[in-house]
This record gives sequence, structure tokens and C-alpha cells, in this order.
Amino acid sequence: MALGLKQLMHDALGIDAHIVNAPTSPLLDSADLFLCDAQTFVSSLDFFLPRKEKTLVISHGRHARGGAPHHINPYGKPAEIVDEINRFIHKEVLPKQNSATLSQREIDVLRLVVAGRTSKEIAEALHISVNTVMTHRKNISSKLGIKSVSGLSFYALMNGLTTDDTSAS
Amino acid sequence: MPLINPSTKLSNVIMEEPTIVALLNRFGIALGVGDKTVAQACAEHQIDPHFFTTLLNTFSNEEYFPEHTLSKFDTRLIVDYMSKTNAYYQMAQLPTIERHFDLLITRSAGEKNNLELIRQFFLEVKTELLERINHDRQEWFPQLLNGSQTPQNGSDNGDDSIETKIDDLLHMFVIHLNGKYDLNLGQAVLLTIFALRNDIKMNNRIRNKMLKPACHAPV
Repeated sequence: MALGLKQLMHDALGIDAHIVNAPTSPLLDSADLFLCDAQTFVSSLDFFLPRKEKTLVISHGRHARGGAPHHINPYGKPAEIVDEINRFIHKEVLPKQNSATLSQREIDVLRLVVAGRTSKEIAEALHISVNTVMTHRKNISSKLGIKSVSGLSFYALMNGLTTDDTSAS
Repeated sequence: MPLINPSTKLSNVIMEEPTIVALLNRFGIALGVGDKTVAQACAEHQIDPHFFTTLLNTFSNEEYFPEHTLSKFDTRLIVDYMSKTNAYYQMAQLPTIERHFDLLITRSAGEKNNLELIRQFFLEVKTELLERINHDRQEWFPQLLNGSQTPQNGSDNGDDSIETKIDDLLHMFVIHLNGKYDLNLGQAVLLTIFALRNDIKMNNRIRNKMLKPACHAPV
């Protein structure tokens, strides 16, 4: 279920969700939200408590959420699950996303776009579909207000997002 | 604003839509218009009044684009206008933006900001616009005038068009400019780029809807 949710949030909303199965590294802080089960949540309180507002615990049973403020029951009614996810995303995730701030995945796509890669090449490099690449590109342009490849290249330069094979055209 | 016709007073047109002065300049019409009507100004400067009135309306009203009326005008008339427009970009608007930009960078020297990178992007857009002007002057316009009917390639409204890049440039100022800078000069640069963007947007409608189809039309 967590995998499906992650993919759905990624493709439909451009939200970068991380599934956490074990105590985690600080690198994951770039994620927009975290998905985990109650046991992982309880066993990694040091990590999750400061990030509890952007954590969604997938657990069944009223008392199995480990004190997390947001949870969904995978065995609940589909309509209730969708409502809960909607509430979580609209209350905790979307309002906190700076419109000019890209998710880690969008940054990955941006780096490849400004390196001159085609959507097909980007899809292959990141193991995602071409449609997903197009969705990311659309979201990037919408967030930044920049559509042209050369404009994106200068944005990448301004923000230190270029790599060795990336330069402003 | 209300539709302009040959009997409309030019002063009313300017007071209602000051940016239209950029269009008047292209036809040599200077400020101090007195109580002349559009028709009287046209007679004085040997301008086709119907063509000029159509341009004034197109320029002042984004929704107005009388394709049918415009398609009746002689290609030479349109090419002459577009050549004047290109000259205006090259000789007036681009140098004005560049002058303001240089001053902005000089006055903001020592401050931590990303203006220099934004200026580099402007210079790239400027180079591209000058290349298009050069191509118009040397190849496309002569072909249109001698009826050699060469189709014009390249988009004027796609994601990598000049219009899009100028929009990107504006967004860089509005959304992504950071650090300290001279506020008055920053405003001046922004407004001159907006003026160029609006002018190009209006004229791209003429390029795309009139001149490009004219390539395929019988002479």
C-alpha cells in the first residue's frame, strides 16, 4: 500500500514521499512527507517526533498508531482512506511547500533537462515513465515560472543545481 | 478602451493607453499632437489610415485581432511596419533595457545578489532577438516581398520562443531575484522588459497570423 501511495502522490501531485522501513539518515529530510508503519514510527521516535506533522502512519487498529497525528487504516473503507489522505496532504503538505521550492525528484529532472537530455533519456535515467517526466517538467515550470530550457539553465546556475555535464546553454 | 477610428483624437488615444507612444514613434509621430485626429496625423505622415487604425486597436486591445481585415492589407505595408518594429526593438527598446540594467548592476555593486546572472540571461535573449531581426531583414522579408513564398520555420509561441524567454526573464526578476539592489532602477528594468514583452506579444500575433500564412498565399 505504501508503495502505491508513494507512486500516486508522486505522479498526480509531484509530492516526493519517502517510505521509511528502519531508522533513517538525515538525507531523507529532503522528502515532502514520510510513510511508515506504527512499529517503525515508535522505534524511531528521535527521527519522527520532530517530523511528525509530515508523517503518515499506515496501521490498522485504533491504538496502533504510536502517537502519530496522521494515520490511515489500510483495511478501512476506500472513501475513508481517500478522505484521510486528502486531509493530510491539504493540511500538512501542500501549504508548507514553497511554490518556488522543488522536490528532490524535480531537482533530479531539472538537472537532466538543463544537461540537454530529452524526456525519453530522463525517463530511462531515473527509471520512470516519459509521462511522469512530463508531469515533473510541467510542475517545475509552474513552480518556477520558467518554461524555456535556457531559462531553467540559468535558474539552475543561480541555485547551484548544475552538475559536471550541465551548463547554461 | 473604446475602439479607435480615424476620427478619434490622437491625444485621447495616448491618454487612455500611454504605451501606444511606442507605436506612434515607429511612424514618426511625435508627442505634442494637439487636437489632431488619427486621420489627420496619418495624412500628415503619409500613413494608410485604415492600416494604422487597425494597428492602434490591435496594440491597445489584446482581444482585438481582425484577421479578416488585416489579411486585406498589402504584404508590403505589413512588412514595412514589421521592419520599423524590428528597428525600434534594436535601436530603442533593447538599448534602453541594457542601459538601465548596466546602471542597476553598477549601483548595486558590492551587494550580494543574483543580478549578474539575470543580466546574462537577458543578453542571451537579446542575442536571439537580434538574430531573428537579422534573419527577417536579410531573408524572410525580402522573400515575402518578392513572392518567393518560402515557409517560415520556427515557433514564435512555443516553450523556447523569444516571447517565452522574455516571460522567463520577468519571472526571474519577480520570483527569483535575491539580495539587495537599487529599488528604483530594479523597477525601471522590470517595466522596460514588460514593455518589450507586451510589444513582442502583440507583434507576434501579426507575424503568426498574417505574415506566416502570407508565405503560402498566392501573390
